[in-house]
Amino acid sequence: MIRPRHRAFSLGRIVAITGNTLTELTRLKVFYVLLLFALVLIGTSIFMAQLTFQQEFQVVKDIALGAMSIFTSLLAVVTTARLLPQEIEDRTIYTILAKPVPRVEYLLGKLLGVLLLLALSIIAMGALFFIVLYLREQTVLYETTRQMSTAPPEQMADALRAVRASAFSAGLLPGIAIIYVKACLLASLTLFVSTFATTTVFTTVVMVFVYFIGHLQGIAREYWLQNNSAGWITKSLLALVALLFPDLQLFNRTDDIIAGNAIPLALFLKTATLGLFYTGFYLLLAWSLFFRKEL
Amino acid sequence: MSEPAVAVIGVTKIFPVPFQRRSVVALRDLTLRVSPGQIYGLLGPNGSGKSTTLKIILGLVPPTKGRAEIFGKDSNLVASREAVGFLPESPYFHKYLTGEETLRFHGKLGGLRGAALKNRVEELLALVGLTNARKRRLGGYSKGMLQRIGLAQALVHEPALVVLDEPTAGVDPAGAGEIRDLILHLKERGITVLLSSHLLGQVQEICDRVGILANGVLVREGALDDLLGIENQTELVLENASPELLGEIETLASKRGARVLDRRRPRTSLERVFLEATESPREQTRRDTP
Repeated sequence: MIRPRHRAFSLGRIVAITGNTLTELTRLKVFYVLLLFALVLIGTSIFMAQLTFQQEFQVVKDIALGAMSIFTSLLAVVTTARLLPQEIEDRTIYTILAKPVPRVEYLLGKLLGVLLLLALSIIAMGALFFIVLYLREQTVLYETTRQMSTAPPEQMADALRAVRASAFSAGLLPGIAIIYVKACLLASLTLFVSTFATTTVFTTVVMVFVYFIGHLQGIAREYWLQNNSAGWITKSLLALVALLFPDLQLFNRTDDIIAGNAIPLALFLKTATLGLFYTGFYLLLAWSLFFRKEL
Repeated sequence: MSEPAVAVIGVTKIFPVPFQRRSVVALRDLTLRVSPGQIYGLLGPNGSGKSTTLKIILGLVPPTKGRAEIFGKDSNLVASREAVGFLPESPYFHKYLTGEETLRFHGKLGGLRGAALKNRVEELLALVGLTNARKRRLGGYSKGMLQRIGLAQALVHEPALVVLDEPTAGVDPAGAGEIRDLILHLKERGITVLLSSHLLGQVQEICDRVGILANGVLVREGALDDLLGIENQTELVLENASPELLGEIETLASKRGARVLDRRRPRTSLERVFLEATESPREQTRRDTP
């Protein structure tokens, strides 16, 4: 057999690790439990009747986007937290890193496996959400047509247009994309924490704190900085927190979407770029620790 | 002199103890050399530094002082691992993968693709006798089967050096015998084997050279014959020798200034008795069939 020449960076090796990670995660029961729970929640939103069709659509969007945001975040943390500690405990990491696999490729492959799983999950949740929304829209359109059968055609066309505009607003797809980017960021941050944590439980607990600090730090910063009495110690502390923890509130665009407001393209691009920057930044931090880690 | 397959040069490894000022010295100024084509046994009691030595050789743990090389390449370089296959102690592997998937995954990490990968997986499954269990998940494999698939993954990219950490730990005598035969088969193919073990009988049976570690220090090292042979004694094994002949030999020996120290019947090993007693009828038939 002719041995292929060693390459310092190989996409093939990364794809192999990504595929293996995806296989591992999709064969975990926790993945199916979480996904099923999210899908059931999104599916049941169809039965929540409200007074007006605007309210109905708002409830469906509220529940679906909320479920997507919580479950992708949860999935990102729970699945990533176990990857490194489990591989070290099972000693499977030795057989991988004893092969000509650079540690950066190993980490990248692991992270991409999780990101692929998150993508598949959000596609499944998104698809069900659109089906639910479409079914509600068709029901409302049918009801509106029946109730306004005697109204002038222009009036009926305006009413139907209003129904359609309330159901599928422009911000839905960018909103879902931002939820995914936030989950990517959390997965990368979890991977970074797991490079120095020794157990899955420790990583998960740290990430729960990070999640809450990440969501609250924006509000705290605004409050303290508006208050002129905030001294340099407070300001320095807030700056440190802002540096260490991502402001997760920036990725929360659900309220705007439910209200039917479109996300401006510039804001979408800025948020997505920030999320991807954080994802890459935490991966680099993870690598810097993992590079010389004694296994 | 040919380039050594493994060279450990003046390696010291100190592990700091977390939250304490003291540290643990796992290896102290270790120097050893494994020549290509040899089976080298690294012996020592638990905690003597065997696994740490292997991890340093494989670049999994950096030495505090000194360096390790594989075929002349620094162990810290990823490229040095191109020539190595590793079977860790009591490996668990990914239980969610089948035997075939495991070999395919490790083959891809070793740079194999397409038909070359497919052929290599087939070849290795046959070599370790797991062709029939290829579609079974590793969660359902016995300890012996896990060791064999572990050995197969270590060999998948045709390394010139195979490092085995306690390859027969927890395996029954029949499984251990199969692994021993596989190791001897590797030697026949010119592959260098570095193994750590505390099963001395097995090491004695297969190793060309051994090093004995105690408390992180290499206390004895050399070719097995040199270490075990008693310089001024010779062993004769005779078949169908009558008591008269034996008496004559003793008389002749004493006339020439030699002395017969012991006279006993050679014994077979307990392992051989065990293997013969537990051999399945199918294997017996296979062996008996010309």
